[in-house]
Amino acid sequence: MSQANEGVESHGFLGEEFLTWMWYRWETSGGEFTLSGGRVVGIAIDDFLTFAAPTEDETEQTLRRGLPTRTAEARTALRQGRRLRKARLLIAEGDRQWTATLDAPSLTLSGVKLPDDAEECESDVDRTADRAANWLALHEIVQALYGHFLKERLAPDYREKGAEAQANWMAK
Amino acid sequence: MVAIRKSGGVVPYFWQGKILDPRDDEFAEALSTRRFRTIENSASEEVSIGWVTPADPTGDSFTCEDLDGGIGTWLRFRMDKKSMPMRWLQIYRDAAEKARGRKLSAKERRELKDDLMDKLLPRVLPSVNLVDALLFHDRKTVLLFATSKSARETFGKLFFETFTVQLESGDPLQSGLRADLSPEQKHALERLEPIRWPNEGREAPPLPSLREARPAAAEVAIDDEPVREEPVREEPVREEPVHDDIDDDAIDIGVDGAEDEA
Repeated sequence: MSQANEGVESHGFLGEEFLTWMWYRWETSGGEFTLSGGRVVGIAIDDFLTFAAPTEDETEQTLRRGLPTRTAEARTALRQGRRLRKARLLIAEGDRQWTATLDAPSLTLSGVKLPDDAEECESDVDRTADRAANWLALHEIVQALYGHFLKERLAPDYREKGAEAQANWMAK
Repeated sequence: MVAIRKSGGVVPYFWQGKILDPRDDEFAEALSTRRFRTIENSASEEVSIGWVTPADPTGDSFTCEDLDGGIGTWLRFRMDKKSMPMRWLQIYRDAAEKARGRKLSAKERRELKDDLMDKLLPRVLPSVNLVDALLFHDRKTVLLFATSKSARETFGKLFFETFTVQLESGDPLQSGLRADLSPEQKHALERLEPIRWPNEGREAPPLPSLREARPAAAEVAIDDEPVREEPVREEPVREEPVHDDIDDDAIDIGVDGAEDEA
């Protein structure tokens, strides 16, 4: 399991870039993504944000309740080039909606709330099957969104296109 | 048996190679070889870790049906820990010192502790922790429903001991290496460096005035409240650097090297 820490230490920044990118895409494109297989999912940032400390000696900034993405503090942090470390997300696909806090450096989820159990669930076995499908769907959506981000991030023209557009948004 | 949880934290793991098929009896048998063993009556401080099933928390029975998690396989492990309650040790030590009219020597304290362990531990119930996971065999993915370091490490060790396969964390690197990327992109991913955004590391620019910051919040919170005039600032408001900072040098190409990465 030591590899776990290696990946977080060496590429934790990429998770933070991913989360910041989702915020950017949510504000500029409405947060709707068409994933492979034609799956359409929507994401939004909810009521909790933590900005990563630029260095170990500096302060991590957390904004909670209300609409933290719309605060002056959040805009200031973006202007300073700070990345999101954690955020509470709303994720929707069809009539299913999840909420979860994404810890970006590790890509782990906490405080997850699954969609309501399907009406046709009549037993615990049914409910387990329904929830298992929802847990897997949430995992696959996050992985697919991350893959979507990576394709953009690793594109040869990322600097001229995606990065510059995001930089403009961050500097607003 | 109750249904699997519908809230909480989750940590994804992946594996490479093959493990037993959960539909086969051998899978349940493999779990049973690392089954949980009780320490309820143990007379020493110890920890016991092993598999149980959602239907039977004792670890005495394992069947494929007990592991049914719909499209996944519902795993559960149990961690029991028995330890000497320190408060009781202190009570007995205080009583011994009072009876003797003096502090106990180090040797006497050690003897008292050993004696109490023998007497009290068989009567102490261990703390119990049940941790669930959902295994998706065809996707080589397992979702652990615990985020603490100890639970993650314990699960990884138990999984390896059971299936002789090392779990890989679903961190940004490993998740990226499993994504639908070309070999070149995966190679670039491994060497990727952070983007340095404009103004990174610089001092905060002045906050926009309240009036500038307010419109979004006002839509939600203060619909009926008249907008008050802000006090006039003495110092001139600095223009925010926008386009000037977002030219070619705004993103540090030398550091990130996206062209090189691709």
